[in-house]
Amino acid sequence: MKTFPTLAELSDTTILDVSQAAGEPAWLAEQRMAAWRFFAAAEPPFWRRTDLSKFKAEQIAAAIGASATILVWERDPAGQGVVFAPLLQALHTHEAVIRQHLGTAIDSQRHKFVALNAALWQDGVFLYVPQNTAVELPLTAAFTMPAPGDAIVARNLIILDHGASVTFVEEYRSDAGAGQAFAAPITEMFLGNDATLRFVTVQTWGEDVYHIGAQKARVGRGATIEWSAVNLGARVQHVEAETALEGDGSRVEWVAATFGGGHQNLLTAPWLRHIGAKTEAHMDFKTVVKDQSYTTFDGMIKIEHQSRATVSRLEEHALHLTPKARSDSIPGLMIDTNDVARAGHASTSGEVDEEQLFYMRSRGIPRDDAIHLIVMGFFEPVLDRIPTEALRQRIAEMIEAKI
Amino acid sequence: MNSDLVIKDLRVSIEDKEILKGVNLTVRAGSIHAIMGPNGSGKSTLAYTLMGHPGYTVTGGEAWYQGQNILELEPDERSKLGLFLAFQYPVAIPGVTVANFLRAAINAHRAEEGKDPKETAIPMAQFRKQIREQMAALSIDEGFARRYLNEGFSGGEKKRVEILQMAMLQPGMAIMDETDSGLDIDALKIVSQGVNTLYEQHPDMGVLVITHYQRLLNYIKPHYVSVLMDGRIVREGGPELALELEEKGYDFIREEVASS
Ligand SMILES: Nc1ncnc2c1ncn2[C@@H]1O[C@H](COP(=O)(O)OP(=O)(O)OP(=O)(O)O)[C@@H](O)[C@H]1O
Ligand SMILES: [Mg+2]
Repeated sequence: MKTFPTLAELSDTTILDVSQAAGEPAWLAEQRMAAWRFFAAAEPPFWRRTDLSKFKAEQIAAAIGASATILVWERDPAGQGVVFAPLLQALHTHEAVIRQHLGTAIDSQRHKFVALNAALWQDGVFLYVPQNTAVELPLTAAFTMPAPGDAIVARNLIILDHGASVTFVEEYRSDAGAGQAFAAPITEMFLGNDATLRFVTVQTWGEDVYHIGAQKARVGRGATIEWSAVNLGARVQHVEAETALEGDGSRVEWVAATFGGGHQNLLTAPWLRHIGAKTEAHMDFKTVVKDQSYTTFDGMIKIEHQSRATVSRLEEHALHLTPKARSDSIPGLMIDTNDVARAGHASTSGEVDEEQLFYMRSRGIPRDDAIHLIVMGFFEPVLDRIPTEALRQRIAEMIEAKI
Repeated sequence: MNSDLVIKDLRVSIEDKEILKGVNLTVRAGSIHAIMGPNGSGKSTLAYTLMGHPGYTVTGGEAWYQGQNILELEPDERSKLGLFLAFQYPVAIPGVTVANFLRAAINAHRAEEGKDPKETAIPMAQFRKQIREQMAALSIDEGFARRYLNEGFSGGEKKRVEILQMAMLQPGMAIMDETDSGLDIDALKIVSQGVNTLYEQHPDMGVLVITHYQRLLNYIKPHYVSVLMDGRIVREGGPELALELEEKGYDFIREEVASS
């Protein structure tokens, strides 16, 4: 088995060498080196709610030149002209469009780990759906951790042309292996006018993984993104996610299911920006915590000055299965305009409802089974959006096992 | 084993306030027994206590059914023993469909100690057939099977679904807490019909009907009527007692109680 250099052993010249050896274009090598220099110089970010104190970044090996991306794709006859390939490979055929988009949604210098991704990414997919093309069958990119002590640095670039429609699933999964591992994925999504993207992101890493990711969708006029996130795994998760409703009449339906157990520390920071006129957002974030776990919903909805007639609705609910578990909710709302049609927020946090439990038990359902049903029902709005039966089953089983 | 429900000197408090002050009542197997009483007299408290709601503290007394003092059992154990409560205010369970809920309940009843639940579970085809038949009998639209339990249901829909659950679980002793409230006249007929059919199919079933109105008792005809007032059973009689109450209100009983 190939061993990779640790982050401490890397330098911008090694990065240049690897890039050149792989025949990558000069602009990409430049981007990688600039990002590396930022990474090397930057202090680790100070995140109050993400515990990196036990994370030994310098001992992590970056899987340079390896690829752990598994593409699952049944060719759909409707999908004429659709490109779904490892991003590195797609560089050979679609360099111009990749160059035009790569790193334009998420600033490579946003923080140290975003820069790390921009410098080192090897894994990841390129998905391009041409104008007015509707792909029915979901496309899946699954990422597995090569080995404990490794890092997986995946970069996904999703581009939907006008009127295109597709379901993209990214799965971060690994069989439990001992020892720290690191995942630093970035997914950038671009939705042309009237496009529809069903984006499903599922994080089910084993227990020693640090997952620090960034995701952003830029949504064009009349386009819709249905974004469904499932966060079950990892030791620490820190995901900054953003939907920018740039085009008039653009929409997002954003649901998430997070389940913390053991000593997990799972943070999701969704940002929602209403920029165009008559944009519409519905967010429904569900969290369950037990044991000593700690989760954070650090959300921000920004209704920008130039927006008009915005509709925005945020629901976030947390269910505590055991008394020591903690969930923080820090929703923010910034309104920079007088023209808002509707903006609403509902939030709850508490233990399993005794009246629900009693009702179910009065029908003969034992207490533990009733709690299972209540938790599964709580996550149902998210499970309902998982596009394949096999994945839904796998997620449901993982949730069941965690309860 | 005795299939009567025998309640002896039952005392119940909520947050240190005594609500039931020594209830004595026997609901015979195979009988329909109505309980009437003014608002706040403790009818729901009695129903919830018999089912084992954790918010009610039993401070004294017993309730025997099938050879056991059910007050010592967990709510789910009481259900498996054959007790059923149709709630005055059914509870919504978001994300859990009527069908899945009922299947879980039926399978819980079928589960046996030491056996794989998969072995004892109701076969899917049989379950589908049963639920379809029972929904049709109660004029519940088939689409309800896939709706989340009681979420966004109208008052009348909730009550019908309570009776659907009762019909599916086939209890030996059913308590119905104001199942008639919130029902229009057509729904009242359908629901009563459902209860009567179940009763005809299971003539050993005991039914404790809590209601304010003679209206329901025109359809579900009681053998016995008891009046609960201020936490005690103050009068017992036959169906004529309900008619008398309808005519005179509770005051005449209140006066009797006061003068005795
Ligand atoms: N959770 C509670 N906390 C405090 N008091 C309660 C609670 N539940 C019931 N009570 C009180 O107990 C008494 C009996 O209530 P109960 O609901 O049993 O009456 P009921 O006979 O069913 O009335 P109704 O005909 O209005 O349904 C009332 O005075 C009520 O206010
Ligand atoms: Mg009542």
